[in-house]
Amino acid sequence: MGYSADEEVLRGINFHLRPGSFHFLTGPSGAGKTSLLRLMYLAHRASGGVVRIFNRDIARTRRSVLPGLRRRIGVVFQDFRLLDHLSARDNVALTLRIGRVREDIIRDHVTELLDWVGLGDHLDAKPPTLSDGEKQRVAIARAVIGRPNLLVADEPTGSVDEYQGVRIMRLFEELNRIGTTVVIATHDHRLISQFNYPVMELDHGTFGISGAK
Amino acid sequence: MFRQHFDLPLGEDGSGRFVPWIVAVMVYLATLSVAAGMAVNRSVDKWNIGLEGTITVEIAASNTRAEDPGEPMARALSLLRSTAGVRSATPLADDEIARLLEPWLGQGDVPLTLPIPQLIDVRLEAGTQLDLDALGTLLENAVPGARLDDHQYWTERLSDFGRSVQVTSAFIVALVALAGAGTVIFATRAGLAIHREVIELMHLVGSRDSYIAGQFQAHAMSLSLRGGVVGLALGAATLGILRAIAAPIEGSLLPTVTITAGAWAVLAALPLLAGLIATITARVTVVRALQEMP
Ligand SMILES: Nc1ncnc2c1ncn2[C@@H]1O[C@H](COP(=O)(O)OP(=O)(O)O)[C@@H](O)[C@H]1O
Ligand SMILES: [Mg+2]
Repeated sequence: MGYSADEEVLRGINFHLRPGSFHFLTGPSGAGKTSLLRLMYLAHRASGGVVRIFNRDIARTRRSVLPGLRRRIGVVFQDFRLLDHLSARDNVALTLRIGRVREDIIRDHVTELLDWVGLGDHLDAKPPTLSDGEKQRVAIARAVIGRPNLLVADEPTGSVDEYQGVRIMRLFEELNRIGTTVVIATHDHRLISQFNYPVMELDHGTFGISGAK
Repeated sequence: MFRQHFDLPLGEDGSGRFVPWIVAVMVYLATLSVAAGMAVNRSVDKWNIGLEGTITVEIAASNTRAEDPGEPMARALSLLRSTAGVRSATPLADDEIARLLEPWLGQGDVPLTLPIPQLIDVRLEAGTQLDLDALGTLLENAVPGARLDDHQYWTERLSDFGRSVQVTSAFIVALVALAGAGTVIFATRAGLAIHREVIELMHLVGSRDSYIAGQFQAHAMSLSLRGGVVGLALGAATLGILRAIAAPIEGSLLPTVTITAGAWAVLAALPLLAGLIATITARVTVVRALQEMP
């Protein structure tokens, strides 16, 4: 794929993620981690090659089908992308509302999850009043609240301390245990080494997967 | 209960603040234009109904001077009364003619000394197939100086006038609707630009285009309805004032202009029409813009 017609950021990449698997994606800054994830969460259509998600060739999928697929994918954006005019609670509720979940169910689930990530006291806070670490946890809560089939997280522990980082990883592992396929992009090798998961490595032009250690 | 949840802060961004005002002005103009169109149409109808089934026979003055003044009149009357399809033929009395001429000649005896044509008011039976052209020729041959006037000249011109007013009124409403749609497109585009990031995020987490468009639609609808109701109220007030001013001269110079219940219903539909146009316009604008996203 590429962001302009004449320059390709990613090429020659070929891999298959088994449903229910857990992978790290690593590589130096600018290697294309975010770009690869964008293909996975359907923010970008590939300029060439085949992207298959949930057994669908995305290039040949009708546009009207994509929203339904996107709702099965949880995304933690590198830059959080919280909505500043909504409270933490409504930010997390957004994906459920889009899926037309009942309001009383939304309220219970959102409160419980925000409690779990340590933001029980900040339910009604707007993102601009939160620290980066708190924003990151709201963004993670929003990504996992709908129990997606695929979770894609871009540097999800970049703004939190080590304790919170491990807690967040535990949340992802719990999600993975109930069947969610997880891909976590990070350049934090210390974090990777604490877990025993296969690592995909992107380095300008090369791609490889190493199995679990 | 269904509660529309607004994820987009459309009310707070100012992009649509001018919409109610512009829609108010537009609905105001449309109200006046439609009311004028309907009033003129009703008047034309009334005039036409008043003239329908009547013709006037005029016997020129020069003729009445020369011979026995009553003779041509008697001949015309007997011919008319013996024609099938004529219900009645009544000569207008001199003082009645004088009254009709009063606005032009002034009061007094003066008119009677002038060569004034004699007039016969002819009423036709309803639905008669009488050939007026043939009757006219017959009359002119039998009574020199007689002329038959079936008012066709006036009724045709009145109908033309009524039609022109109607077309103009429809044209104004169409222009107003177009300008209104333009306003909504402008406001919606501004809203799309302001909320680009929010919309992109909603799109990425799986919003359907219709979900996002729905919020713009509801917003545009509410703004336009509010403006439309204000415009209609101002229009109704203006019509009321105009009627009050026209009341003393109505009936003599102006036909009685009444706005019927049906006409009010049409006028009341204008704000709803504005709301509908705004909703559709907002939807099309947003869905088009969203098509650009993958
Ligand atoms: N929106 C964009 N438009 C143009 N180029 C981009 C854009 N995003 C990323 N790139 C380029 O694509 C390459 C890969 O970037 P990225 O995927 O963000 O890498 P990483 O996440 O590994 O740091 C970089 O050269 C970057 O400059
Ligand atoms: Mg990145």
